[in-house]
Amino acid sequence: VGGRGGTDIISTVEFNHTGELLATGDKGGRVVIFQREPESKNTPHSQGEYDVYSTFQSHEPEFDYLKSLEIEEKINKIKWLPQQNAAHSLLSTNDKTIKLWKITERDKRPEGYNLKDEEGKLKDLSTVTSLQVPVLKPMDLMVEVSPRRVFANGHTYHINSISVNSDCETYMSADDLRINLWHLAITDRSFNIVDIKPANMEDLTEVITASEFHPHHCNLFVYSSSKGSLRLCDMRAAALCDKHSKLFEEPEDPSNRSFFSEIISSVSDVKFSHSGRYMLTRDYLTVKVWDLNMEARPIETYQVHDYLRSKLCSLYENDCIFDKFECAWNGSDSVIMTGAYNNFFRMFDRNTKRDVTLEASRESSKPRAVLKPRRVCAGGKRRRDDISVDSLDFTKKILHTAWHPAENIIAIAATNNLYIFQDKVSSEMH
Amino acid sequence: MLGKGGKRKFDEHEDGLEGKVLSPSDGPSKVSYTLQRQTIFNISLMKLYNHRPLTEPSLQKTVLINNMLRRIQEELKQEGSLRPVFTPSAQPSDSLSDSYREAPPAFSHPASPPTHPCDLGSTTPLEACLTPASLLEDDDDTFCTSPAVQPAAPTKLSPPALPPEKDSFSSALDEIEELCPTSTSTEAAVAATDSSKGGASESSVPKPEGLQEGRPDDPKLMDSLPGNFEITTSTGFLTDLTLDDILFADIDTSMYDFDPCTSASGTASKMAPVSADDLLKTLAPYSSQPVAPSQPFKMDLTELDHIMEVLVGS
Repeated sequence: VGGRGGTDIISTVEFNHTGELLATGDKGGRVVIFQREPESKNTPHSQGEYDVYSTFQSHEPEFDYLKSLEIEEKINKIKWLPQQNAAHSLLSTNDKTIKLWKITERDKRPEGYNLKDEEGKLKDLSTVTSLQVPVLKPMDLMVEVSPRRVFANGHTYHINSISVNSDCETYMSADDLRINLWHLAITDRSFNIVDIKPANMEDLTEVITASEFHPHHCNLFVYSSSKGSLRLCDMRAAALCDKHSKLFEEPEDPSNRSFFSEIISSVSDVKFSHSGRYMLTRDYLTVKVWDLNMEARPIETYQVHDYLRSKLCSLYENDCIFDKFECAWNGSDSVIMTGAYNNFFRMFDRNTKRDVTLEASRESSKPRAVLKPRRVCAGGKRRRDDISVDSLDFTKKILHTAWHPAENIIAIAATNNLYIFQDKVSSEMH
Repeated sequence: MLGKGGKRKFDEHEDGLEGKVLSPSDGPSKVSYTLQRQTIFNISLMKLYNHRPLTEPSLQKTVLINNMLRRIQEELKQEGSLRPVFTPSAQPSDSLSDSYREAPPAFSHPASPPTHPCDLGSTTPLEACLTPASLLEDDDDTFCTSPAVQPAAPTKLSPPALPPEKDSFSSALDEIEELCPTSTSTEAAVAATDSSKGGASESSVPKPEGLQEGRPDDPKLMDSLPGNFEITTSTGFLTDLTLDDILFADIDTSMYDFDPCTSASGTASKMAPVSADDLLKTLAPYSSQPVAPSQPFKMDLTELDHIMEVLVGS
């Protein structure tokens, strides 16, 4: 168990495909990559902890002179490319521009040049009496990051998602109204595959909120909307995928209807399961599991913080109702996780139907400490350690969480702190 | 944010206001439903108008807020179409004269933005008040004459069709009345004035400044949204709001007594009364924008000032 302080608010967290690397992006446009230390036989208890591997400035603030508005450098999303050689690559994006970064290691350097001395100054040729072949000598590990591609000017609106295709050649980027398909090697053009912009902007009532490629079928992708619907699209069917192959929408529950029904139904995140059979969505109060074969309704619905249902007016007024929480699957698709307020995050075991609320805080994150389950009391009987709804801190929100692709290691971003929790005892949910 | 101090107050009214299925036809709960709707409407308008970001505002948020406003607007329209038509013979001239009597105190402080008794804690009636100017052009029959405020009932009444022999001066006076729709009782109006003076003064002072400062930014903001999305939708709201909403404001008096949403969350978004002047100043730049034909800003500031002087003088 470890914690890390930061100077800026973390805006995205993402493990790479092996889980060896963990990337975070922040509001200041920086990317920090953590690497898991290999387990050492000498210290069997110190099972691979994450240390800083590299830090770099990915995006800078820009100014849109046409609109007289700033373009934030905040990193909205990071997605790792599958590793194809010794180097690692990732895509990072802010509101407008996507960048491809290559991360390489250098642990050797050549020594013994003929024309240059050790400091790199040119030698006086009259002193050179014999030729030598430069030799590679080990050096302290140096991690080098370089921008390989900049995919700019593809989006009029704010980019909310990027997703790498399973073909490893293309990726998509989605903004509020459009989704573009890019080739990783081509930066000067992209292909528009979804466009929901109405002819008359006055008629605009729905925006795209998240989007993801299917993990196995390179022709399928899903996008979610602010009205709570999911659209599965097949790129083979048409060039412009405005017409969905499948529409996933749950009819509104009339007993829960309120002024805020639409807003709380807006999907803030969508994630395919590792198996590719299910989708996980997060809206303001729930997480839902959808079966790709059933469009009528989700197969599972879990209440994240239903006690907020009676506070929606306040949460609308202070804008919390617009908070975009993410969700995550564990490696075996048996447990799902999402964040909440007061630095709480929730896990739901799909098999046992048990759920737990945990807190990411300094007190609970001492090394090898066991996280204590928390409980929010919404009235009625109150136990000793319960937190009452009215004392929840709505400024402490856990929007970004990530789960290691194979092991029970989770990364939790709590404002400007990153918490990494490992389950060392067993892989079972307690 | 949901502090302990506000908790009890919050709980009291939250149960009645939130999360339950309240149909507009229920008797006593209709008032709370209407109140909640009004609250949300005001909050939504404030969110749209008070925003002065350095970066482009979130399109998703804007769309969701606009949808909220549209939905409430639709409801109001539907409720309006279900109401019985008010016949001229039953028109209460007493309340009309009451309105006239109340008008001078309303404008006795033309310079102080917070103390506007007709704004009972919401911006809606004022913005609705701006519509008659355009509606005068569009529909003389209904709106060129005085919208007598019907006392007491929470249900709204359609404006009475007075004989159209009134001259343009009277209709101008009527417009001013509409800018200052009094509540059902004069006491309530005075009470509202006092409480609005006391409670909202500190937050409303920055608010008008905010609005005025927002003026140079707002056109940029409008333009920055693709397709002038916000201009056309916001003016759409203004033109579509009818006198129903002014009459609707009768109920708003009690908003001063409890504020379930704002009390809990602090001063950040108090629904401070905004004078018609401030709103006009804020929205004046938009009149130069190419907007829908029924733009509500025919009456310019000088005309308004002149009319106010006449009223104050009388």
